[in-house]
Amino acid sequence: MGVLDLCPVDVTNRNRLDFSLYIPEADFEHLIRILSEARSRATELAASIGARLGTDHRLAELANAASTRIENMLREVRTSALESPAAGGLAELQGALQNEVQPVTPSPANPPEQSPAGIDTMASFAAQAGLEPEHWVLMFVKDLISQLRASGGINFEMAERLLQQRKDDFLRDFLIARRMYRTYPRLFPELQGEVGPADRETIPQ
Amino acid sequence: MTIDARELNELTRKATELMSETADVPRILRNRLGEQHQLAQAADEMLGSIESFVRELRCFDISSQSTGSGPFEGS
Repeated sequence: MGVLDLCPVDVTNRNRLDFSLYIPEADFEHLIRILSEARSRATELAASIGARLGTDHRLAELANAASTRIENMLREVRTSALESPAAGGLAELQGALQNEVQPVTPSPANPPEQSPAGIDTMASFAAQAGLEPEHWVLMFVKDLISQLRASGGINFEMAERLLQQRKDDFLRDFLIARRMYRTYPRLFPELQGEVGPADRETIPQ
Repeated sequence: MTIDARELNELTRKATELMSETADVPRILRNRLGEQHQLAQAADEMLGSIESFVRELRCFDISSQSTGSGPFEGS
């Protein structure tokens, strides 16, 4: 059996919704974070090996196989997190993602290094587009620029992966923000007057 | 195409980290869903794929060490 024969992992037809045991929301967050970071690392490794040894090299094939496995696993966990009754209320997240709602999230603790000119450009872009500096679109553009600078080029596949990574980050931040709001509602006085009791699970823009 | 031993060591280190960090995934799913659950089994397969990659990379790394630290032709 060749390496690539192992690549396609179709778990979509598996009994993924048979959650006879409980998976806490925190576990889903943890799994998504691990898999999201792992996918980035695996993609980077596969690209590095492919660039040095050629895409037909066995190592490159193994790296791509591992990357595909991680990608599929992440997709499956994300789907399970949204559909599992144990996760309770995560369906709203699906709507938030589809509607491109941006939750209230703190700025990253370690933002990527940028030149002052780059920061000015992004700030200008954000202002012109009417976006908050923390909006995911700006983060995505920064990711694209960073990737372009690091590798000297970019393709559709890489752009798609970066966008997916941004969506995963969005999902993780959303879950954390919602849990904080549920646990410590007093820390969000500005939201108390805007959100009624019945809508308290919804994170406003 | 060539790769030198230092690059290969770095790639091996990153791949080993990747394997270590993803080891949690099947463990969590097994604990929550049981070993027989297909999501847990898919996670096992994912980790197995990463382990195969790392194992192969380590073998490649060892062979490169024996040729010295200079660039060499990939197999």
